[in-house]
Amino acid sequence: MAVDLGEALGTVRATRSHRAGGRRVPRQKLTRRRKVEARWFWLFISPWLIGFVGFLLGPMVASVYISLTEWDSFTPPTFVGGDNYVRALTEDPVFWQALRNTFFYALVSVPVGLVIGVWLANLLNKQVRGRKLFRTMIYLPTLVPMVATAMVFKMVLAPSGPLNDLLGLVGITGPNWLLDPTWVKPALVVLSAWGAGGATVLLLSAMNGVPKEFYEAAEIDGAGPVRQFWSITFPQITPIIFFNLIMGLIGAFQVFGQVYILTKPVGGPDNASMMMVPLLFREAFSFYQFGYASAIAWLLFVVIIAFTIVAFRTSRRWVFYETEVR
Amino acid sequence: MAVATPITPAPPPATRPRHEHTPARTLKAFRASPATYAVLLVVSAVFFVPFVLMVSIALATDATSATNMFTIIPTEWEWSNFADVFTATGLPVGRFVLNSVVIATLSAVGQVLSSSLVGYAFARLRAPGKNLMFMVVLATMMIPAQITMIPQFLLFKELGWVNTFLPLIVPNFFSNAFNVFLVRQFVSRVSGELDEAAQVDGLGYFGIYRRIVLPMMWPILTAIAIFTLTAAWGDFMGPLIYLNQEDTMPLALGLQFMTSTSNAMQLPPWNLVMVGSILLTVPMIAVYYAGQKYLYEMNLSGGSAGVK
Repeated sequence: MAVDLGEALGTVRATRSHRAGGRRVPRQKLTRRRKVEARWFWLFISPWLIGFVGFLLGPMVASVYISLTEWDSFTPPTFVGGDNYVRALTEDPVFWQALRNTFFYALVSVPVGLVIGVWLANLLNKQVRGRKLFRTMIYLPTLVPMVATAMVFKMVLAPSGPLNDLLGLVGITGPNWLLDPTWVKPALVVLSAWGAGGATVLLLSAMNGVPKEFYEAAEIDGAGPVRQFWSITFPQITPIIFFNLIMGLIGAFQVFGQVYILTKPVGGPDNASMMMVPLLFREAFSFYQFGYASAIAWLLFVVIIAFTIVAFRTSRRWVFYETEVR
Repeated sequence: MAVATPITPAPPPATRPRHEHTPARTLKAFRASPATYAVLLVVSAVFFVPFVLMVSIALATDATSATNMFTIIPTEWEWSNFADVFTATGLPVGRFVLNSVVIATLSAVGQVLSSSLVGYAFARLRAPGKNLMFMVVLATMMIPAQITMIPQFLLFKELGWVNTFLPLIVPNFFSNAFNVFLVRQFVSRVSGELDEAAQVDGLGYFGIYRRIVLPMMWPILTAIAIFTLTAAWGDFMGPLIYLNQEDTMPLALGLQFMTSTSNAMQLPPWNLVMVGSILLTVPMIAVYYAGQKYLYEMNLSGGSAGVK
């Protein structure tokens, strides 16, 4: 997957540079055979094209319009302009709370997962006996469907559940994770950390690809394991870390099922765990406020795009690509 | 999953048996200390606890379940729970499973068919406007599903598709950008000589797709099938929006329903819910391990796609 993101960007760049090169081939009249081929091309891509227009472009345009109306889907929509956006940004305290909570969740759970992932991958990259078994144990949780994960964690996070038992061993009285407004978000982070194995496996295969000569040279130069990690392993795997960071953030901003299943009422005590998508879902499918919900969807989109752009911008400073010539 | 290659340089065959480690020649960075083992043991144990708890609760008696007094290590062995889950919950759990199988299978079939057609065209056929179309494909990967969720719901409601599987299955027959991209990259890497030869021999474009390109695409199509299966099987939000009648629900939604049907005074039948969670989980582990090879071959390593 990581490779594919790079490839996608590469493809975009290649297409662009071709254009920018100014080597525009004068448009020739297509030969008959080329015309037939072109016709087949459009026929072959028609499933995607129809889906794109019917399930994506059309709904997107509709979504923009709906977001500018007040509409319960039973009575005709009333056009209200930017009122829904104004309401979300200035009047609705729950929107800001949901946004803050989503930020908290994304900005804590994703780095926590990555730190655990890098740490475990680095350990597994050593010559350990039973590596396959360890790797399987760590990866297995990522195969559990979200609903099953949520069900199990409802019990893991119960006041007398295993997590509090564990904390009890070191003399800490654990909170009532899912009902305490302070602890409900950390509880969701714990649940997401259980899936750190996904990143671990990707990072481990990246670490495997780091040329061994680097470590040999470093050892001759007298660098210790810690120094070797920060000077060799880490820079070499930054593209994969970056890939996981981007995908993780996008996924975390769209968190829904965990919140919906684990926190009652949806969004938890005092909206302490209300997030963007659960809020959108509640506005749309419980309150039938389709206009307001659509506005929230677009605001979420803006947030995701903004974060992606910021991540890409800052990536130039810390992500190392082998092919880059500086 | 990546298979780790041994780090140690191969020892001279005459002096040492083949698979033995040679600690003296292991680089410092790869030497495992007792601390390495300690951390790995503790972490994998912690990661494994939820699985043990899941089994322990699934095997608890109804009496234990009613008081919520579960142990992490199983102490009771109520295997009849695995039969009771289908009869004792008052919900059509067998139907849930069947619904999940139907939705996941048809979704995978749809994605495989459509993305192979579209991906082939983007890889092999030439047409004016193709590059632009491909840019659009890449751009659509960035649109979050929430944007289209409400208009799609209104559209499917208008079509009378609420409480049918159609809203969950039909869009898959129109391919998705990521899968089109995967197929396109896969086919592009294979030389087109064979298609050209076939063309000279008079095979049409559909014939080339059907007889030549499709048979060679199966590793990527298997990977796509696995992704789609896991995603559709685990999907919660889609069924939650479109399905609100018990007999149409897939297992993922049915499980949530199982925890919420009992009245406020009553605890959900946790032991049976956990049996349901095991029923939901085991097929995904089986599918992953059966198809692992292809996922690795495709450099995808992402069973996690189904978890999100």
